[in-house]
Amino acid sequence: MRLAYRAGFGAITVLALFFVLFPFYWAFLNSIKRPEETFQPTWIPFLQFQPTLEHWRSQLATPEIRHALLNSVIISIGAATLALALGTLAAYGLARFRFSRPSNGALTTWFLSQRVLPPVMFVTPFFLLMRQFGLLDSVLALVLLNATFTLPFAVIILSQTFRELPRELEEAAWVDGASHLQSFLSVVLPLALPGLAATWVICMAFSWNEFLFALSLTSKSAIPMPVIIAGAEHTRGVQFWFVGVNVLLTMLVPIVLALLAQRYIIRGLTLGALKG
Amino acid sequence: MDSASDNSRSLGYETGPKAAPSKTRTDYTKFVFIGPAVIWIVAFTIFPLFYALYTSLYTFRFGQRFGFVGVGNFTRLVTDENLLSSLRVTLSFVAGTVTVEMVLGVALALLLSREIRGTNVMRGIATLPLFATPVAVGYLAITLYYEQDGPINSLIQAFGGKGIPWLSDPFWALVAVILVDIWQWTPFVFLITLAGLQGLPSELYDAARVDGAGAFQNFRYLTLPLLAPLLWLILLLRLVEAFRIFDIPVSLTLGGPGRATEVYSLYTYRSAMRFFDHGYAAAQGVLLLVIVMLIVSLIFSRVRGLYEEER
Repeated sequence: MRLAYRAGFGAITVLALFFVLFPFYWAFLNSIKRPEETFQPTWIPFLQFQPTLEHWRSQLATPEIRHALLNSVIISIGAATLALALGTLAAYGLARFRFSRPSNGALTTWFLSQRVLPPVMFVTPFFLLMRQFGLLDSVLALVLLNATFTLPFAVIILSQTFRELPRELEEAAWVDGASHLQSFLSVVLPLALPGLAATWVICMAFSWNEFLFALSLTSKSAIPMPVIIAGAEHTRGVQFWFVGVNVLLTMLVPIVLALLAQRYIIRGLTLGALKG
Repeated sequence: MDSASDNSRSLGYETGPKAAPSKTRTDYTKFVFIGPAVIWIVAFTIFPLFYALYTSLYTFRFGQRFGFVGVGNFTRLVTDENLLSSLRVTLSFVAGTVTVEMVLGVALALLLSREIRGTNVMRGIATLPLFATPVAVGYLAITLYYEQDGPINSLIQAFGGKGIPWLSDPFWALVAVILVDIWQWTPFVFLITLAGLQGLPSELYDAARVDGAGAFQNFRYLTLPLLAPLLWLILLLRLVEAFRIFDIPVSLTLGGPGRATEVYSLYTYRSAMRFFDHGYAAAQGVLLLVIVMLIVSLIFSRVRGLYEEER
């Protein structure tokens, strides 16, 4: 009985792992196989086939892809930094001050409620407004929008982080004559650094993955990686080796960022209901 | 500046759960903290929301406003066969993905929560699909579903089955999109349920064991009721996300074959960005908002408890 349970448990774990990991390995495999070997059932590089970095080299040398990668980096860093700045202030306000009408709880819910709005309903207004301000096909437009969409995550993750900090340290700073703003800058922020870094990184990952507005508002110079990918197969047909490279180029950044912020992901994903 | 912040220490500062509200003077420091984010949301969410409502009442094409049509765009919704078709596709997608993801994710979490070893590795691995760029996942799936000798059909044929016309058959194309979403989002249900299970008080289970409760009784009378609010929250978040699905069908099937996988957001996107029928697209957005709000209002009361303890 015990043995049967262990065996069943092991089998399910292996199956789940295979299901999750196979697509990544498949992309990696295709990215290092020669085109003519694509359909051969060979799975182990060096042993079964001779890997090549040719596809990686040629994709990374393509101007459009380099430009899109650069755009994605600028958009993610810009949006995450903006969301972090706004979110840190708001989160500290919610964690340490008492609001009435609307109450702290109502304010937090208000910040979070933006997450349930269907994004597609904003395509038309943002397109018309950005056109009005001459921001179509600009990196700035995507920085502003992604900062908006990730702001709720920043507010919720950070307000919990601030609540967990001991108040005594701030009180001690005030006794020493520091103002509220001074204690915020020199006591609270350094203590909250891990939370701040994790929030920044999570906001970056979400901004990197954003697709709908990147597709709607860019046409040439501001195109980020996800949009490059979406258009590729319709112009050139499916080339497995380039699919492998492009997919990994796009995915690896947000995945690595998310793994860095592992500890804070659960509270972000549950909008603060669980601390994880 | 200095004197204002001096006051904030004793007045606006919340010293405990039952801190006395300030009676003497309003402290303005707190508005310095919360103000920028509030203004930002008003400018970038509330204002565009109302702008969308306003647009939906006009004939608004190619970036130009024509006549006021009142509910005209909304009556068009009801008679638009293609819109209704996209709504049906979306409902099938939501039903298929959310059901499987909830059952599979919760089952896996229950199974693995007994293991102490390797939980962190499990969490790390579950994070991978969650943060993999959805468009890239859909694009990669084209090669996985490749009908001639792609890996999935090869596997099916190796077990003696017949290859499936994944992307050329309307039914299977929708299944293909649903499967990709399941791959991406089951880890979400799994991760959160696992975290919830690990946060349950072990004393209760000790007490139940003393009383002679079995595994099934534990689950039925302890785990399930304790976990219920969290499961409702996961369901709510999954429903909200599933209704907005866009990235995967765009990169995997482009809505095809025919309109078989043209989901609601894709249809609205095309109305807005291909046909530049902004007024009508805005009306579609408003309808989707109403649908999502309906779901939220049905479920939210069961979830609220999760948020109340600390406020």
